[in-house]
Amino acid sequence: MGNADKSSSSSPENPSLLAGRNWFESLLMGFIAKHTPKCQEVVRLLSQSMEMKLPVTTRIKIRFHYLICVWCQRYGTQIQALRKIASSLPERMDDFSADTLPYTSKERIKRALRETHHE
Amino acid sequence: MQHREDDVSEVAGGICGGVNPERWVDDHGDCLYRYAVLRVRRPEVAEDLVQEALCAAVRTQSSFRRKSSERSWLCGILKNKICDYFRKLGRETCFTDLEFLEDEMSHKFIDQGWNHDLGPAEWKSEAEVVMDRAEFWKTFRDCLSKLPARVGDVFMLREMEEMETAQICEALRISKNNLWVMLHRARMALRECLELNWFENKPKLETDG
Repeated sequence: MGNADKSSSSSPENPSLLAGRNWFESLLMGFIAKHTPKCQEVVRLLSQSMEMKLPVTTRIKIRFHYLICVWCQRYGTQIQALRKIASSLPERMDDFSADTLPYTSKERIKRALRETHHE
Repeated sequence: MQHREDDVSEVAGGICGGVNPERWVDDHGDCLYRYAVLRVRRPEVAEDLVQEALCAAVRTQSSFRRKSSERSWLCGILKNKICDYFRKLGRETCFTDLEFLEDEMSHKFIDQGWNHDLGPAEWKSEAEVVMDRAEFWKTFRDCLSKLPARVGDVFMLREMEEMETAQICEALRISKNNLWVMLHRARMALRECLELNWFENKPKLETDG
């Protein structure tokens, strides 16, 4: 979506805050698209921002990019949600897996324990 | 439930005077197994790790202090075994997941901008809401299992165990850049899988639960 005229094309939904509805918005979108990274790069940077603090200029560029691209903004929110989901997994261990040790494995482990015990 | 089991085992241990390691298998086996499966995701590996941990526990029984519960003591040993497992894996495996990692998901982009039809859709409910639903975790598990093994490992170490980037790089002996690429691809693939298999197909989420 780094490309201004594409963003105003036949999308079924309003893609962003600045949707290119009039000449001024289109002009602004073109300007932002030119001076901020393209979506593919923004998406990579968003992931990286979860590992390290990005330089302030990069963070500002991403903010501006959000004005013309709702998809990247969503992507950012959703990978943060993914982090929240994954970090709550240990508490939901029983929902994630109701697996139990098969009987034969239990017997095998017991045998191994007996052997270890007698060593 | 878990507390009650711990209490019982402590009482039993007290009455018998000594500890019967075979009883650990019945008392804590399933719990330890689940703990391991969640982390290594391969059942056969999880079984082996539980066995290794319990055998190690037999050898170091004397180090067990009644201050902690038997279960958390065993869990601690298992955790170390899992760390060792990942460390060994880091040394042994080279990249077999290259294809997945090299896929720039280019079908999603046109001129490096989102292809509008394939751009992220709005998720119809908040993460907090879905997490209360057991079926959600089944979907999550399915999505996770579609990732190449190493990529899934890295994602879980980072996001579930909340290990620091540097720690993971050290444990798995991979470069920081490599780790970032893996995390990026994992997030991208998981996000998409959840969107397709959960968020888009559960329009009545808030009302039907």
